[in-house]
Amino acid sequence: MTNLDVTVQMEGLKGLDEFKPNKIIDIRGAICPHPLNVIRDTIRNLADREILQAICDHEPTAKENAPRFCDRRGFPFKVIEQNGVWQIFIQKIEKTQPRLRVVNVSKVFRTNHGRVTALDDINLTIHVGEFVCLLGPSGCGKSTLLNMIAGLDKPTHGEIWSNGNRVNSPGSDRVVVFQEGALFPWLTVIQNVEFGLKLIKITPKIRRTLALDYLKLVGLDEKFHDSFVHQLSGGMKQRVAIARALAMEPSVLLMDEPFAALDVYTRETLQEELQNIWTESHKTIVFVTHNVQEAVLLGDRVIVFTKNPGRIKTEYELEITRPRKIEDPDVFLNTKWITDDLKGEMEEPDYESDAKTAVYR
Amino acid sequence: MSKRLIKLILFYLILIGLWQGLASLKLWPEYIFPSPFGVLKTLVTGFEDKTFIIGILISLKRLIVGYGFSIVVGLGLGLLIGRIKTLDETIGSLVLGFQALPSICWLPLALLWFGLSESAMIAIVILGSLFSIIIGADTGVKNIPPIYIRAARTMGARGLQLYTKVIIPAALPSIISGFKQGWSFAWRSLMAAELLYVGLGLGHLLMMGRELNDMNQVVAVMIVIIVIGIVIDRLFFAKMENKVRERWGLV
Repeated sequence: MTNLDVTVQMEGLKGLDEFKPNKIIDIRGAICPHPLNVIRDTIRNLADREILQAICDHEPTAKENAPRFCDRRGFPFKVIEQNGVWQIFIQKIEKTQPRLRVVNVSKVFRTNHGRVTALDDINLTIHVGEFVCLLGPSGCGKSTLLNMIAGLDKPTHGEIWSNGNRVNSPGSDRVVVFQEGALFPWLTVIQNVEFGLKLIKITPKIRRTLALDYLKLVGLDEKFHDSFVHQLSGGMKQRVAIARALAMEPSVLLMDEPFAALDVYTRETLQEELQNIWTESHKTIVFVTHNVQEAVLLGDRVIVFTKNPGRIKTEYELEITRPRKIEDPDVFLNTKWITDDLKGEMEEPDYESDAKTAVYR
Repeated sequence: MSKRLIKLILFYLILIGLWQGLASLKLWPEYIFPSPFGVLKTLVTGFEDKTFIIGILISLKRLIVGYGFSIVVGLGLGLLIGRIKTLDETIGSLVLGFQALPSICWLPLALLWFGLSESAMIAIVILGSLFSIIIGADTGVKNIPPIYIRAARTMGARGLQLYTKVIIPAALPSIISGFKQGWSFAWRSLMAAELLYVGLGLGHLLMMGRELNDMNQVVAVMIVIIVIGIVIDRLFFAKMENKVRERWGLV
């Protein structure tokens, strides 16, 4: 990706010149909206297998953003340069089977004060290899949605599909990393990582090898492998929790505010390392957070929730180069935009009126 | 030698010295106030002619059979009560009620049902320890942080696996304290039962000492009972407890 030769034909688009593009857009001079956003919005309106030709003079878009965008979605593409102007050809391919599909899902809790709608008619599609952040104020139902995807909780209405199978119960294809305190204190670090593998009767030798591999991936020092959980710091605990989940080789990793209880420095390190882990393993990750910056730092897509009842408010697609760092201007700007957008949502609610709407809805 | 140990030894030496001193004054006849020396002599002869050894073995056999039964049944029942609400609301309340009844109160019933037999003794031991063990397991299960079970379920644990791999280990600290309490209740009820009814155990030796006006034997048997209690607690329960505490970081 980094050494992409812009004039080389990408596989799958051989002889694209012979096809006529279905749509041609000229986005020379476009800065705001960002050229990539224009491309993305145009592609969204194309039908399956249709081809877009974009004429563009914005080098990062042509060389980096657009190829990354296509790569992630598996769209064949081709970029040709002529005198500082790029011709970008992109063919839209509809994915046949998304990793996760949330269809018309609602969740109603019965409480002493009546029925509370935690989630109202959520629709969400998550593709293979995507890093999706669910962002919203506390009480917006984002964790509830994660639990339902995990199968720990059942939707009141609607359906959740994982790899084309209806989700009815928890399964090791969808492992959750919790906020804290989910490691087993009666086991050592390495036994914790081996726990799930033992359940599916993997032989001790392979189990140990896998556990060691994943502990290495999450960067836990070897001297802690035989420690007990209470001997670890908060950051190390979450590393082990991530290793334990990854060791199951789930097709989706579900993360429920895994860094929320950590101090700032540890959190930043782990955010950075999670990006590396994701790049290396190409796992599909659904990450719940209430921290805008964290969502921008990690997500390809950030789904913003509102509360009372929990609904999807907006969805942001972020095409920021990885590894992202907090000090990147793009991260900063996107954080600011989303934060501005969320103003009012994140503010502490007027508790009484909220309770009323929740109860009598 | 640690300072603590020196203090301990000094304390007991002084205590025994005072006791011997008091006995040497001969304020009371020996059949009312024994001397340490007399007690030691009785202990030696008791072990030499094997009466004490037989007494210990008989008492321990009753304990092991009864307590073993209590562990199996109590653990199973406690785990189920902790997990299943209906059982908790029905059997759970019954267990709490029985726990309030000193187990020696079962003796009349046990004698009527089982007669003057070994079974009556064992029944008393079971009834003494069962309820503590059930309550220990039940409390342990109820206090498991739900997140352990959720985490295990998302890794694919279900059914029996959930019990063996998560619920039992997670409830272990409380299960062990239930075992420990059950053991001390079993020990106490057995001694009470043996005192009341002839049957060759340690309690019977104690009673025999009273009937023969042999206070040396009474005190010697008391010492044996104390030592056995302490040894089992130290060797067994304290070790288990320490291990669990260390793992969980409760030290």
